[in-house]
Amino acid sequence: MKGAEFFVKALEREGVEVIFGYPGGAIMPVYDALLDSKIRHILTRHEQGAALAADGYARASGKVGVCMATSGPGATNLVTGIANAYMDSIPMVAITGQVATPLMGTDAFQEVDIFGITLPVVKHSFLVEKSRELPRVVHEAFRIARSGRPGPVLIDLPKDVANTVAEYQFAESDQDEDLPAPSDESLMRAAELILASRRPVIYAGGGIGMARAVDAFQAFVEKTRIPVIATLKGLGSIPTRHELFLGMMGMHGMKASNIAVQNCDLLICIGARFDDRATGKLSAFAPHAKVIHMDADPSEVGKLRRAEAPVLGDLRKALDALSIPADCDAWRRECLANKVEHAWDYGAPGDGIYAPWFLKRLSQIGGDSMVIACDVGQHQMWVAQHCDFSRPEQHLTSGGLGTMGYGLPAAIGAQIARPDACVINVSGDGSIMMNLQELATLRRYDLPVKIVLIDNHALGMVRQWQELFHDKRYSEVDLSDNPDFARVAEAMGIPAFRVDFRKDTDDAIRRLLAEPGPALAHVVIDQEANVWPIVGPGKSNSEMMDEVRK
Amino acid sequence: MSSVTLRLRLKREEGSLVRVLGLVRRKRFEVVQLRAELAPEGDYLAVRMTLETAREGSAIAAHIEKLLDASHVEVIEAEETDRELRAARVAS
Repeated sequence: MKGAEFFVKALEREGVEVIFGYPGGAIMPVYDALLDSKIRHILTRHEQGAALAADGYARASGKVGVCMATSGPGATNLVTGIANAYMDSIPMVAITGQVATPLMGTDAFQEVDIFGITLPVVKHSFLVEKSRELPRVVHEAFRIARSGRPGPVLIDLPKDVANTVAEYQFAESDQDEDLPAPSDESLMRAAELILASRRPVIYAGGGIGMARAVDAFQAFVEKTRIPVIATLKGLGSIPTRHELFLGMMGMHGMKASNIAVQNCDLLICIGARFDDRATGKLSAFAPHAKVIHMDADPSEVGKLRRAEAPVLGDLRKALDALSIPADCDAWRRECLANKVEHAWDYGAPGDGIYAPWFLKRLSQIGGDSMVIACDVGQHQMWVAQHCDFSRPEQHLTSGGLGTMGYGLPAAIGAQIARPDACVINVSGDGSIMMNLQELATLRRYDLPVKIVLIDNHALGMVRQWQELFHDKRYSEVDLSDNPDFARVAEAMGIPAFRVDFRKDTDDAIRRLLAEPGPALAHVVIDQEANVWPIVGPGKSNSEMMDEVRK
Repeated sequence: MSSVTLRLRLKREEGSLVRVLGLVRRKRFEVVQLRAELAPEGDYLAVRMTLETAREGSAIAAHIEKLLDASHVEVIEAEETDRELRAARVAS
């Protein structure tokens, strides 16, 4: 059997059902073997689309996403998607073809050191130099990708290894190691802090979903009755409609959330990492609070903020053990009153589309079982602020890397993973152009992804920053020469229409959702619409800037 | 600036030392002393490295421990580190 044939069988044995990829010279043996495999291959139109689709597939399914490309430019085009998965701890195996081992190091055609290039953005990587290593490498790659704190793993496969005929045997299956339970001492210390606190806040991060600890987390919230704020990636770890959920925190967080975190006396950080977009000026973040930090990754605890009670290990076990009633009735009432007082006012002036209202209505009409894959920019923040989610896997967003162009391929991956789900890509006129070619992938596989393209004829978030923090000196943000997106989509075989007026909001959403296949709504908004509130660069979360309506 | 000296045992795998050195640089640590040698059995690299940083010195150990090629990570006491570092500088 050829190495490539064994490789594909080993992938099947690891449970791989789908690979997102793009063929080329050095990976041809694997593509040849795929013809005889039950694995489904999704041909994207760019390797970056393949990597980001594998990411979306992984987030929506909870399985390891797999992407594949050839050597050289195919491999380098995967890098952004690999880095995206690394920053957001997404389980992924990226497979790259490589030139034959005798040619490595000779600057051969389409040779690039993808192993070296990706070192900073992988959890681990393998260069398979001997065919006998194949069984171990494939098995290890998947185990590493999904275990502990998940992440991307690279397998670089030289062409001669893929063509080597040999007797292969599968690696022996071993069970994934369970995360250790938190120590009794750490749990005791955390319990003492919860019992002593009168103004506690739960700071929920993406690690809750990653650890499959959503049910344990929700039980913890119900038992403690402590108000909850969430990071961008923590949205959905508790239903966003839950009475104790105050909203997203941080730079574009809801006011009630940032007020709560700045005034709490105990911050219970669960699967979050004190990211600068969440904390604002770190030295002024939660200034009166002691910290309980629960995480699976020891290197995150104490990295940016000292924790009085570090709780390391399996989040589910920690949450179960710490589900005790907290004594914070007055504080809870204060937080919930702030939530009401600072609830969003959707009554913006004018008759143009108001993006927060459009997205609110999208969420209400579509229901909170929708999967929304965002791109990056203003629309991403509006989705986080105004759409409702019941589970974290419904909200696919590039949190750490902030990858414009993420949304469409991620939506493709999510739709492949969950064929019956209503999958929405909310994009912007800047982001959509980054991976526009994937409209052809939607059409090719007739995936019923619905695209809400919010178009302000600008790189909106950069424009907003230039307005607010650079004295309105606008530099390279104008996109008023955008193509007619509806016509572009139609040229790719995707039904599309344009929406300009607020009165048409509900009809447009219903029309979009009623399309049986893929469809695009081109939603035109005011170029000067900004995301509010905003915490300026280097500022504390207590220094939020609010919209001043004229 | 603080300094930390680490003793590591790295599996003899593709890029294991480069992986450690890249991580050290990305976390804003500077290598001021480095010694690496293949163990007599040939199956691992024994590494001893002294690092300087403006950040908390011992934090790097937790990051290196996450690397799958690092089978053993040991932080040598700070006092000892300071003494060794001074000695190294005097010698140089």
